[in-house]
Amino acid sequence: MIRHSIRHIVRKEFTDVLRDGRFRWCSVLVGALLLVSLGHGWVQAREAQREHAAAQATARDHWESQGEKNPHSAAHYGIYAFKPRLALSFVDEGVDPYTGTSVWLEAHRQNDFLLRPAQDATSAQRVGALTAAQVLQHLVPLLIILLTFGALAGERERGTLRQLLATGVGRRDLALGKALGIAGALGLLLVPAAAVGAAALVVGSPGPAASPVARAAVLAVVYLVYFAAFVALSLAVSAWARSTRTALVILLGVWVVNGLVAPRVAVDLSKWMHPTPSALEFAQTVEREMATGTEDIIPPDRDALAERLMAQYGVERVEDLPINDVGAYLQESEEFGNRIFDRNYGALWDTFERQGVVHELVAVAAPLLAVRALSMGLAGTDVEQHRHFASAAETYRRDLMRRMNGDLTENSRSGDFSYQAGAELWESTPPLRYDAPTLGWVLGNRFLSLVVLGGWLAGTILIAAARVRRAEVA
Amino acid sequence: MTARIVIRNEWRLLMADRPLRLALGLFALLLVYALANGVVWTRFQESTVEVAQAGNVERALAIEQELTDIENGAEPASPFSDPRLPNVLGGRRGRHTAVLTPGPLTALAVGQSDLLPYYYDVNIYTNESSFHQSGEVESPLNLMVGRFDLAFVVVYLLPLLVLALSFNVLSEEREQGTLALTLSQPVSARGVVAAKLAFRALLVVGMVLAVSLAGILVAGDFGAPGRILLWCAAVVAYALFWFVLAAWVNSLRRSSAWNATVLVGAWLVLVVVLPAAINIAAGLLHPLPSRVQMVTAQREASNEAVNQRSELLARYLEDHPEMAEGVVADEPGLGALAWAATDAVNRRLEEVTAEHDVRRAEQIALVRRYRFLSPALLTQEVLIDAAGTGDARFAAFQSQVRVFAERWREFFVPAILASEQMNAGVLSDVPQFRLADEASADVVRRAGVPLAVLTGLLGLAGAGAGVGLGRVRGAD
Repeated sequence: MIRHSIRHIVRKEFTDVLRDGRFRWCSVLVGALLLVSLGHGWVQAREAQREHAAAQATARDHWESQGEKNPHSAAHYGIYAFKPRLALSFVDEGVDPYTGTSVWLEAHRQNDFLLRPAQDATSAQRVGALTAAQVLQHLVPLLIILLTFGALAGERERGTLRQLLATGVGRRDLALGKALGIAGALGLLLVPAAAVGAAALVVGSPGPAASPVARAAVLAVVYLVYFAAFVALSLAVSAWARSTRTALVILLGVWVVNGLVAPRVAVDLSKWMHPTPSALEFAQTVEREMATGTEDIIPPDRDALAERLMAQYGVERVEDLPINDVGAYLQESEEFGNRIFDRNYGALWDTFERQGVVHELVAVAAPLLAVRALSMGLAGTDVEQHRHFASAAETYRRDLMRRMNGDLTENSRSGDFSYQAGAELWESTPPLRYDAPTLGWVLGNRFLSLVVLGGWLAGTILIAAARVRRAEVA
Repeated sequence: MTARIVIRNEWRLLMADRPLRLALGLFALLLVYALANGVVWTRFQESTVEVAQAGNVERALAIEQELTDIENGAEPASPFSDPRLPNVLGGRRGRHTAVLTPGPLTALAVGQSDLLPYYYDVNIYTNESSFHQSGEVESPLNLMVGRFDLAFVVVYLLPLLVLALSFNVLSEEREQGTLALTLSQPVSARGVVAAKLAFRALLVVGMVLAVSLAGILVAGDFGAPGRILLWCAAVVAYALFWFVLAAWVNSLRRSSAWNATVLVGAWLVLVVVLPAAINIAAGLLHPLPSRVQMVTAQREASNEAVNQRSELLARYLEDHPEMAEGVVADEPGLGALAWAATDAVNRRLEEVTAEHDVRRAEQIALVRRYRFLSPALLTQEVLIDAAGTGDARFAAFQSQVRVFAERWREFFVPAILASEQMNAGVLSDVPQFRLADEASADVVRRAGVPLAVLTGLLGLAGAGAGVGLGRVRGAD
C-alpha cells in the first residue's frame, strides 16, 4: 500500500517536471552546456597531452644527442620536464591553467614551473572559463532548486497538500516520492552526460592516470551525493517556507552563497590565516640562503672537502687523488642547495596545502567547496597533484645531477678540465617516468572533504525529514 | 510631486519589509568587506614595489663601492662577478628591476594584478622567455577562484540585489489589486515604475559609489579623475541596465513568480552562460598553440647557436654596425662569440613568439567582438581598465620593458663585443626604467567603446520597457 502510493507520487512528480516548459528549457540549456564543455575539455586535454608527450620526447632527444662534453656542462644544459595531463582532467581542469606546464631541470637550482596557460588568456576568459565540473557544481544545483522549491510550498499554496495528506499518504512517503520524481527527471539529463563522459574515457583517454575508471566511478558518486544533498535541502526549505516565493528567495540565497560568495571568502580567509611571502621576498630569501646558508645548513667548504678526501685516500696532494675532487665538491653543493630548496619550497607548498585545508573547512558552510576539492583531486588537477609531479621532477633532477657529478668524480682526476663524457653516459640516465598517485592517495588527501560532504548529505536529509514531519498543511 | 509621494511611500514600504532590509544590509556589508580586501592587496603590492626599487639602489651602491675599491687597487671579490666586465655589470649582478606601480584604483578591482607579473628583472640576457615568468607568489587554487573585490560584487552580486528589489515592482501591485487604484490617479504606469525604480536605484548605486569613493580616499588619491568617472559611469550604467530590464519584464503583465524566473534566467545567461560560451567558441575556432613549443624552439636555437658562434658573430656585426665600433670579426673575444650566440637564440625566440602572438590576437579579437553580447563582460572590462588592473595596462608595461631591455643591451653590448672594461664613471649613464603610465584620457578613449555599447544595451532595454509600460492599463 505504502509502496504503491510512493510510486504514484514519483510518477506524478516526474510527469509534472517533464511537462513544465521552464524545466524543459533549463535542462536543454544545462545539458547542452554539459556536453559542449565535456567535448571541449576532451579535445583540449588530448591536444595538450599529445603536445606534452611530443615535447618530452624531443627534450629527451636533445639530452641524448648533446654531443661530447664535460658532465657538469651537461648538467647545466639539463633537461625540460613537461607535466602530463591526466585522464580525467577533461572533466575538471582544476588549477592546471594556473600552474606552470614545464620546468627546466638544471644544475644548482630548483626552478619554478613556467608557462601558465591563464597568463595567455584575457581577463574575460578568466571570468568565463567553463568546464563540465563547473556545470555540475554550479548549474545543476540551480536546476534542482528550480525543480524543487515549489514541491511542498506549492501544494500548500494551492491547498492540495491538505487533500493529499487526507488520502492517507504519509508525509515521509510524500517527500520521498517528490525527491525520487525529481531525481528521475535529473537522471534524464545526467545519465546521457555520464555515458558520454565514460565513452570519452574509454574511446580515447586523454592521458595517463592510475586507475582512471575507479577515479571516474568515485567522481560520479561524489556528484550524486552533492545533488542528493541539494534535493534534500530544497525539499526542507520548501516544507518550511510559508510561500513559494520565500522558498525560492531563500534557496537562491543559498545558491549565491554556496557558489559565489563562500569560495572567494575562503580565498581571503586562507590568505589571512596562512600568509605567503611576496615573490620578491621569497626569491631574495632563497638567494641569500644559497650564498651563506642558514644556522643548520652550512655551505660546503671546498678546502675542507679536499683535506678529507686526501686523508681518506692517504695522499698528500689533491692531484694525487684517484678521483676528481671538483665532482665531489659539486655534489656537496648540490646537496646543500637541495636542503635550502626543500626548506623554502617545502614551506611554500605546505602553506599552499594549508590554505587548501581552509577552503575545505569553509565547505561546512558551502558544500561546493567539498565537491570541488574532491572533483579536482579525482581528476588529478588539484594543488597536491601538481606538487606530486613537481616533486617527481625534482627527484629526477637530483638523481640526474648525482649521476653527472658521480661520473665526473670517478672518471676524471682533480685538475683535469678536459674530461668529456659522451652519448653513452647521456643514454645511461633513465628518462623521467611519472606514476600518477593512486586513488587511495587522493582520497587520503581529501578525507576532510569526504567527511564534510557526507555530513552535508546526512544533515540535509535529517533536516528535510524533520521539516516534512512538522510542515503545516495550510 | 507624484514622484516625491511615491518615493516617500517606497521608503516606508522598504523599511517595513524585513527580508529586503536584510538583503540591503548584507549587500552593504559585502561592499565594505570587498573594499577592505582590495585595500590590503594594494598595500601588499605597494610594499613589494618599494622593496624592488630599494633593491635597484642597493645593487647600484654595492657595485659603485666595489668599482671604486678596484680603482684604488683592491682585487674584485670574485673573477666571475667582476663588475668591470660588461656582461657582469649589465648581467644578473647589475640587473635593473623595472616596476609597474599598482593601478590607481587597484583597491576597487584586483583584476589581473594577482596573475600577471608587475615587475621584471632586466639585464642583457632578458629575452622573450623572460616574460613568461610567474607573477606574485600565490596558491594556484586562490588564483583559480579569484578575489572578492568590489568589481566582483558589482558584476555578479549587484544584479541579483537589483532583481530582488524590482522583480515585482508592478506585478505585485496587480496581484494585491492596488494597480487599478494607483492608475486611477493622474499618473501613468511609466511614471510610477520610473519613480519606484529611481528610488531603489539611488539607494543601490549610492551605496556602491559611496564605498568606491571611500576606497579611493583610503587607498589612493583623486589624482586620476578620468578613471574615477569611468568607474562610476560603468557602475551606474550596469545597475540601471538591470533595473530597466526588470521594468521591461514587469511590463509584460505576467505573475511575480514568472518575472522572478525570467530575470534569474537572464542573469544566468548574461553573466554566466554567455561569457563561457564566447570563450569556448574562441577556444574551438582559434585554438592557441601552447607555449610548450617555445621551450623546444629555444632549445634548438641555442643548440645550433653554440656550434656556429663565429659565423653568427660575423652576421651580427653586419646587422648591427652601431654596436660594433672597432670590433674586428676575425679576432673576436670569447665574450663577443658568446653574445652572438645569445643574440641568435633571442631572434629565434622572437620569431616563435610572433607566430604565437598572431594566433593569440585572433582569439582575443573574437572574444572582444562577442563580449558585446554580455553586459557583464563589458562592465568587467571597463571596471578593471578604469582601475588600472586590466590586460591593456600590463601589456603596455611589458612592451615598455621590452624597449628598455633593448636600451640596456645598446648600452652594454658594444663593450662586450670590444672586450672593454667598465668603470665607476659609466654608472650614472646606465639606463633607468621610467614607467610612462597611460594617461586617464587614453583609458577613457579605450574604455569608451564598451561603455558606449553598455549604454546602448541600456537604451534598448529602456525602449522596450517604455513601450511595454505604455500599454499597461489599470484594468489588467
